[in-house]
Amino acid sequence: MFSQIRPKLTEYAKDVIYRLKEMHQSLGEDLHYPRYSGFKSAIYDADHVKIFSLLENNSVKLDKVIYKTGKKIHFIKEPDAYYLGTKYVVIEVEDNEEWLKNTIKNIFIFGFLFLIFMGFIGYFLTKLFLKPMKESFMLLDNFIKDTTHELNTPISAILANIETIDKHKIDEKLQKKINRIDIAARTISNIYQDLTYLILHKKISSIIENVNLKELLLQRVSYFKILAQSKKIDFVLNINEDIFIEADKKKMAKLIDNILSNAIKYNRVGGKIYITLKDRYLSIKDTGIGIPKEKIKDMFKRYKRFNQSEGGFGIGLNIVYMIAKEFSIDIEIKSKEKEGTEVILRW
Amino acid sequence: MVKIVGILLLLVSLGFGNIYEKNCVNCHKIFGPDLKKLFFAYLLKYSSEKRVKKALYEYLKNPNPKKSIMPKEYLKLKGVKKRSKLSDKELKKAINIYWEKYRVIGRIK
Repeated sequence: MFSQIRPKLTEYAKDVIYRLKEMHQSLGEDLHYPRYSGFKSAIYDADHVKIFSLLENNSVKLDKVIYKTGKKIHFIKEPDAYYLGTKYVVIEVEDNEEWLKNTIKNIFIFGFLFLIFMGFIGYFLTKLFLKPMKESFMLLDNFIKDTTHELNTPISAILANIETIDKHKIDEKLQKKINRIDIAARTISNIYQDLTYLILHKKISSIIENVNLKELLLQRVSYFKILAQSKKIDFVLNINEDIFIEADKKKMAKLIDNILSNAIKYNRVGGKIYITLKDRYLSIKDTGIGIPKEKIKDMFKRYKRFNQSEGGFGIGLNIVYMIAKEFSIDIEIKSKEKEGTEVILRW
Repeated sequence: MVKIVGILLLLVSLGFGNIYEKNCVNCHKIFGPDLKKLFFAYLLKYSSEKRVKKALYEYLKNPNPKKSIMPKEYLKLKGVKKRSKLSDKELKKAINIYWEKYRVIGRIK
């Protein structure tokens, strides 16, 4: 605390002692006590009796070396001999708290340097420790990207070839088999598109256009019809007029696909899917298993699945949420267990 | 001749002044050492009034080289003074006068 001011006080005391020695050597002929502008002083004898004092505060603690009283710092120095009987020289200075300012400044400077140093150490250690993990992630990421890319060709080939088969010319048994292949291929195609979207959505810039939702919905319903028929699910459409939205067509198709896919996936066999399209309003409602009310808020979280009986990764509704957010579409979920779920979009 | 004059002066002065002057000053004037120098030497060694007076009293009551403030060379040359014949009261009174004469407390400006 006083380490910075102490050498200065020692110098002051030495000045006073030097003067006392001179006064003593004059054998009392010259008894003019030294006065300084920077500090005040006093002298005391061996019995703590005051010989002379210029101090403002005379209640000094001669058993201490340096101490602070109020705004004054007192420093006690003992001369090598008792000049004029002086055993204690007391130096009194005003404490401008320079030491405190310096200490705070030092704490900040050295603290900051220490933090930077620790930051560098931490950065390099973290980088070192995370290197194997990063490599694993990169390997996995590249694997997913490559796999996803390689999936496109066979899925497209399967779907294109099924399209070319004239189902009226083949027998019913083979028709059923072809239908199953078609359904499976479409399911894989959906998963493929979801994965592509998740991996590349940041790199895909949106092409904003006036999307006809009626047209898009009819197209997507047609696409999912075969899948729905496999569970004997019927679509009930309430789509009368052309409704438009300013958005990216492909992304809107992805949004509808995911809601329809869920509506089929979590519907009961022989259930229905009600689709209502009005001005700035789209509702897709199923008659499926529903989900508990308290879990609705977590539905849009990635990899969150409430029913393990059905396949999937729990990324569909997360994609719906991301696309809706991009085009400022509000999503409302109404669900009741064993009755069904309704997804309402407003924009 | 000088010695005779000195003794005469001593005898004359014995009849005047206070107990300090009669018993201390007169003798020191002739045989030394200087009382003022002696006072500052005592101050330098004993510091406070109480300690200086005590040291003086003890030395004057029972002078010996160990208690003397004078250098060894001086003592070898002149020896130690004789024991004071003053009573305790008189001795203390003389010491008080001596202290008052040369004290620095209250005189520093």
